[in-house]
Amino acid sequence: MKNLILEVKNITKEVNSPEGPLTIVKDINLTVERGKPISLVGPSGSGKTTLLAIMAGLDLPTFGTVNLLGSEITSLDEDKRAQIRGQDVGFVFQSFHLMPRLTALDNVMLPLEISGDPYSMDKAQEALKKVGLSKRAKHFATQLSGGEKQRVAIARSIVNKPKILFADEPTGNLDKKSSDSISDLLFSLNEIIQTTLVLVTHDLFLAEKCKEVYELSEGQIL
Amino acid sequence: MRRGLIYGLKKFWSEVFSGDLLILFCSIVLAVTSISSVGFLGDRLKSSMLMQASSMLGADLVLRSTSEIDSEFLSKAETNNLNWAETTTFLSMVITADDNLLTSVKAVTDSYPLRGELKIVNFNGIQIEHSGSPPSGKIWIEKKISESLGLNRSDTLSIGNKNFIVDGIIEDYPDRNSSFVGFYPIAIANIVDVEEMGVIQTGSRVVYRKLFSGTQDNLNRFEDSLEAIPANIRLQKAIEAGDNLGEDIANSTTFFNLASLFTIIISVIAAMMAVRRYANRNLLHTSLMKVFGASKSFILGHQIMQLTLMIVSASIFGLILGYALQHLLLSTLQGIINVNLPPPTFRPVIIGFITAVFVVFATAAPYIKILSETEPIRILRNDFVIKLSSNFIIYLVAFFTMFGFLGVLFQDIKLILYIVMTLICVTSALYLIGKLLIYVLSLIKFSNGTGWKLGLKNIVQRGNDSILQVIIFGLSLLFLVVLAETRTDLVDSWTDTLDEETPNYFLFNIQEYNLKAISDYLEDEANISPDFTPLIRGRLLSARRPGSEGVNFDNLMEREANLTWQYDIPQSNTLADGQWWANADEVAEVSVDREIAVSMNLEIGDELNFSAGGKTFSASVSSFREIEWQSFSPNFFFILSPAAGRDLPNSYITSIKVEDSEKLMNKFITRFPTISAVNLEAIIDQAKSSISSASLAVQYIFLLTLIAGILALIASIYSNRDQRTKETAIMHAIGASRAMIFKSASSEFFILGMLSAITAIIFSTVLSSVIFYQFFDLIYSPNLIILGLSFLLAIGFIFIAGVISIRKSIYASPMITLRDS
Ligand SMILES: Nc1ncnc2c1ncn2[C@@H]1O[C@H](COP(=O)(O)OP(=O)(O)OP(=O)(O)O)[C@@H](O)[C@H]1O
Ligand SMILES: [Mg+2]
Repeated sequence: MKNLILEVKNITKEVNSPEGPLTIVKDINLTVERGKPISLVGPSGSGKTTLLAIMAGLDLPTFGTVNLLGSEITSLDEDKRAQIRGQDVGFVFQSFHLMPRLTALDNVMLPLEISGDPYSMDKAQEALKKVGLSKRAKHFATQLSGGEKQRVAIARSIVNKPKILFADEPTGNLDKKSSDSISDLLFSLNEIIQTTLVLVTHDLFLAEKCKEVYELSEGQIL
Repeated sequence: MRRGLIYGLKKFWSEVFSGDLLILFCSIVLAVTSISSVGFLGDRLKSSMLMQASSMLGADLVLRSTSEIDSEFLSKAETNNLNWAETTTFLSMVITADDNLLTSVKAVTDSYPLRGELKIVNFNGIQIEHSGSPPSGKIWIEKKISESLGLNRSDTLSIGNKNFIVDGIIEDYPDRNSSFVGFYPIAIANIVDVEEMGVIQTGSRVVYRKLFSGTQDNLNRFEDSLEAIPANIRLQKAIEAGDNLGEDIANSTTFFNLASLFTIIISVIAAMMAVRRYANRNLLHTSLMKVFGASKSFILGHQIMQLTLMIVSASIFGLILGYALQHLLLSTLQGIINVNLPPPTFRPVIIGFITAVFVVFATAAPYIKILSETEPIRILRNDFVIKLSSNFIIYLVAFFTMFGFLGVLFQDIKLILYIVMTLICVTSALYLIGKLLIYVLSLIKFSNGTGWKLGLKNIVQRGNDSILQVIIFGLSLLFLVVLAETRTDLVDSWTDTLDEETPNYFLFNIQEYNLKAISDYLEDEANISPDFTPLIRGRLLSARRPGSEGVNFDNLMEREANLTWQYDIPQSNTLADGQWWANADEVAEVSVDREIAVSMNLEIGDELNFSAGGKTFSASVSSFREIEWQSFSPNFFFILSPAAGRDLPNSYITSIKVEDSEKLMNKFITRFPTISAVNLEAIIDQAKSSISSASLAVQYIFLLTLIAGILALIASIYSNRDQRTKETAIMHAIGASRAMIFKSASSEFFILGMLSAITAIIFSTVLSSVIFYQFFDLIYSPNLIILGLSFLLAIGFIFIAGVISIRKSIYASPMITLRDS
């Protein structure tokens, strides 16, 4: 039990849509153990991103509880959840979300600047090294290729040494080759910095690399 | 919060120069520059007016009476820490061994004058030091006296029983109006010698004055302690005289205020657009920060720090520019003001800062709230669109706070109300027009997309964005056009007072028998047919109010009056009160200059007694006139009805406009040696240069508003540039040609520009007429050239700036554009 870093219980998310209330995910239960990456797969619109957001504390479920790294985040307010995210959680997104007018290094530094880490520069350089992009530190985000952007984004997500790393289709916007190297990188991180990957993807090949694969369909785990 | 503040501090400079904040920065700078330059200027002008007024009185406050004034006032002044001086002025003969001259003698204490400068020179014209009054037994005289009596340094003269040694020549003295000016030269003696002269007897024409000066607080306290002043004592205050400043300066001050008000409003519009874009672009940044653990207060701190730094740096920048501009304006206005100005006060600095705070608050407050409350989930949904509707209240609050602040700042609630009303009307009109446009366009079926049809379609698709753009364009244009019209008409109205027909010569001393000869001569030589006005030298003796005897007509006894008689009211005069002659040939009536009438406490129906040509007669006051003194035609304080004036002995006076004046007038004077001709050209030139410098000052201030207007247009064009850029790239990618994209974009900007320009022009005529009528006393008639030109320039500018704003994306490869966005 000690190794449980994420525990999702009876999560249901409803939203109001023009056609009335809509259940996006329904009665989800899952657990993640430290060091054991999991993946969520499923067709488009099945609720993967929604579930990820709830697990990571970016959004609140309509019913159910989420216990992330020992805190029941579903009963915390937004600022408290933000604090947990800042300290122990990392994120990688499908569309990278780098700040276009910042350099790669500045982008990586962002999470540390928020927490006010005095060594943010050194740590960011180290993170860039880990993703193999130390030479590109001074480049602006717009000057990088998609694969490079995603590497920077990964560097940014690990710069605070997160215990858990959420990635929402990290290879969705990349060609086959970059996609392979990004996924290799992500899985290697699992070992290098002892983080646990929660991966959303519809690439089954990628999903298979995880210890556990959950398949979503119409908001429910099959 | 603290971390957020630190973060904001670190990121400030890199973000300021990133574009959106730069426009906000410029808007604040413009608003501050404008308000502070006008503030600095107004401040210094006001003090200078006060100084001028004080020096006209020789003091800040004067008690004046034709009988002696109790000296208890002096002790009261001393308890209130005021300085005081006394003067006694009377008419007396100055006698030398072989000549004499009626002189206005001013006997003063050592402390005279309290304000202004008394300039005494020796007979070589070199200025000499003095202690306010000549020592007992010495006297200072005006040059006119020394010349007509042939006096030299250390010669003696006598006034009554007392002999004086001439010790200096009076070159300038402050309280000119207080003497029997224009009629008699003045001499200044020490007040201790008055007794010995022995010329003041009952019935003598004497004016006693007590002069006071000090801080405004002390003056107020002193005035309060005076309680009831005896009816024969009149109180004159510099502060009141200062209100009476020249109309040109008053009008240009009004214009400056108006211009800076408009500049602030337009800057706020520009700032609003800039902040909107800034917030939209920053939404990604803040959501990211939220994802990475930033709290609400962190974001708040970040934003507040950035805006604070922005306010501080932009204010400082704006204040420096404002001070420099004020300097420029002053050096331009030097000819008009013509005094050494006191240094500006600190007030404009504070006002500048407060203005900056308000500009930022009014525009940024809603967005700070939105940004700090951004949900991090936006990142996962790729949703970076701000919906303002839920924050409408904040905008409303900010809007009204802004105008409340402007009301306090300009202390002119009426003006602010007009502007707010116009803003509301024009915004609603523009909104409706925008809605209508979109509705009409949406009815049209755009089947196969040629370029311009695509542009129209884009207007429809952008919906509220298009409407917002029409509103912003329209409002900025509105204020610019109104100000442009005001500026032009103001300058025109000034120039009109000195048109081609302004006379450049006054001819005096024309006798009846000369009239025909002069008329013929001028007709032959210069094709001029002069109008001769009768001039009667007379004196106002007394006044009486039928039915209520014993009314105190103060000030009356001093009036040596030049009179005339006329059938019709002169062109440069307007009737302010009463009626022009009821029966010109039968009833003896008099029409009086309104200001004189007020100062003499006259009412319609009072009887005035005059003496002229050895006769005394009376006439009843039938009207008051407002005289336009700049007209350079003969003007009179008192005009008699023909019944009263026709039979009095008179000479004639006329003013003429002569081309090639020197040659003709030299010939004229040899031909008519008894006639005095006064050349007005120097005075006219001076007036002209005042007008052109006032006009130039007005241009500078207008320029500032123009820059703000251009900034607002640019900010508005850029507000949805990102979206346009993306669309352009996508259109490229799906195979649209450059020509097509260009046509689409240009037709869009053309339509938006045209609509807003039309609306702005229409409403500008409304706002202009209100402003002209209410604030400048001018009748508004639309200036078609300005309106037409503004219309074309506006459309042209929006069109060109619009196309420029997206030119990069039109001509760049779509790949680069897509990658950037
Ligand atoms: N706030 C919302 N309001 C209405 N519907 C929503 C909202 N958020 C998500 N949805 C709907 O919920 C469903 C699940 O969305 P979600 O983004 O979780 O799917 P997904 O599995 O991540 O799909 P994809 O693979 O395409 O990213 C979708 O049909 C989406 O339209
Ligand atoms: Mg998804």
